[in-house]
Amino acid sequence: MLRTIEIKESVFANNDREADALRAELKGKGLFLLNLMSSPGSGKTTTLVRTLEALRGELRVGIMEADIDSDVDARTVQDAGAKTVQLHTGGMCHLTAGMTRQGLEALGTEDIDLAILENIGNLVCPAEFDTGASKSAMILSVPEGDDKPLKYPLMFTVCDCLIINKMDVLPYFDFDLDAACERARRLNPNIEIIPISAKTGEGVEKWADWLRGQVKAWKEK
Amino acid sequence: MHEMTLAISAIKSVIEFARDNDIDEIDTVVLEIGELSLVVPQYMEDAYYAAVPGTMLEHTKLRMDIVPGNGICRDCGKVYNIIEHKGRCPVCGSESKDILSGEEFNIKELLVLEDEPE
Ligand SMILES: Nc1nc2c(ncn2[C@@H]2O[C@H](COP(=O)(O)OP(=O)(O)O)[C@@H](O)[C@H]2O)c(=O)[nH]1
Ligand SMILES: [Mg+2]
Ligand SMILES: [Zn+2]
Ligand SMILES: [Zn+2]
Repeated sequence: MLRTIEIKESVFANNDREADALRAELKGKGLFLLNLMSSPGSGKTTTLVRTLEALRGELRVGIMEADIDSDVDARTVQDAGAKTVQLHTGGMCHLTAGMTRQGLEALGTEDIDLAILENIGNLVCPAEFDTGASKSAMILSVPEGDDKPLKYPLMFTVCDCLIINKMDVLPYFDFDLDAACERARRLNPNIEIIPISAKTGEGVEKWADWLRGQVKAWKEK
Repeated sequence: MHEMTLAISAIKSVIEFARDNDIDEIDTVVLEIGELSLVVPQYMEDAYYAAVPGTMLEHTKLRMDIVPGNGICRDCGKVYNIIEHKGRCPVCGSESKDILSGEEFNIKELLVLEDEPE
């Protein structure tokens, strides 16, 4: 005879608990963790390099690279002056809170104010898995199209900030900036939207300001 | 690959639940998978059986209960199956809706062998 033991718990619940625990610890230490997500090639690494330039001499930044399995991206941001660790994710499609914790341990957080996780390039499951980050941001780049919020609604719902990157190529694409913003805000009325070009540097200061403000608020409260 | 990562999360959760509740032998793991979730049942099944060897779930069976993806039209109130009607209300044609069910990816229950009465 078989007996049924009811569980009825989301597969994500375990990860959510680990994420909350990690977030509380980071808060206690006054360490801000940003989870940066996007499709592959939207410009996460390029934006990070710009961000490092903007925050140089102000905040000590550490970067966890999970985006690809080679260490090219890690080297790029290391050359830009950040403490860096490459997470070898071996074909995984997202990071869990447990993996993020291990990444932070590998990075070493005693001498940094801000840790940034360059998540795996994917708009689907990273949205489902809370990493334990203080805040999450995503990048949508102009060539990807203004209908991405319709196709990947959860990602737009869980992010605190939406960077719209590659604004320099806007004239060459039928990307409707207002439509993209409207679609994102319909899913997430509080989302901060910052158009930038990581190539030319346009808008990067506004993004850096948002990040500064978040780090400050995190350390104060 | 996507399902493999999710299968590993599910397996990890089941093992923790079993440990916390002193369950040592499970016959069947029952997952509840919504039609609108990120999970493709066939891939999940393959991933599950590929991932359990070497764990306490090695000899378990997997059952998947599928939950229909239903929504309610914001314009006329009709409840309809979102997959079947491709996201568009069959009565008024509106795409505006609230999702009622079908996003779940749950560990629903475990089937265990009944203890022999002592
Ligand atoms: N035109 C243009 N290209 C960009 C911009 N930002 C990044 N790219 C290019 O897009 C490609 C992918 O960028 P990368 O930062 O590696 O994206 P990631 O995969 O998200 O880390 C690279 O060739 C970058 O040079 C931008 O603002 N404008
Ligand atoms: Mg990258
Ligand atoms: Zn995935
Ligand atoms: Zn209707």
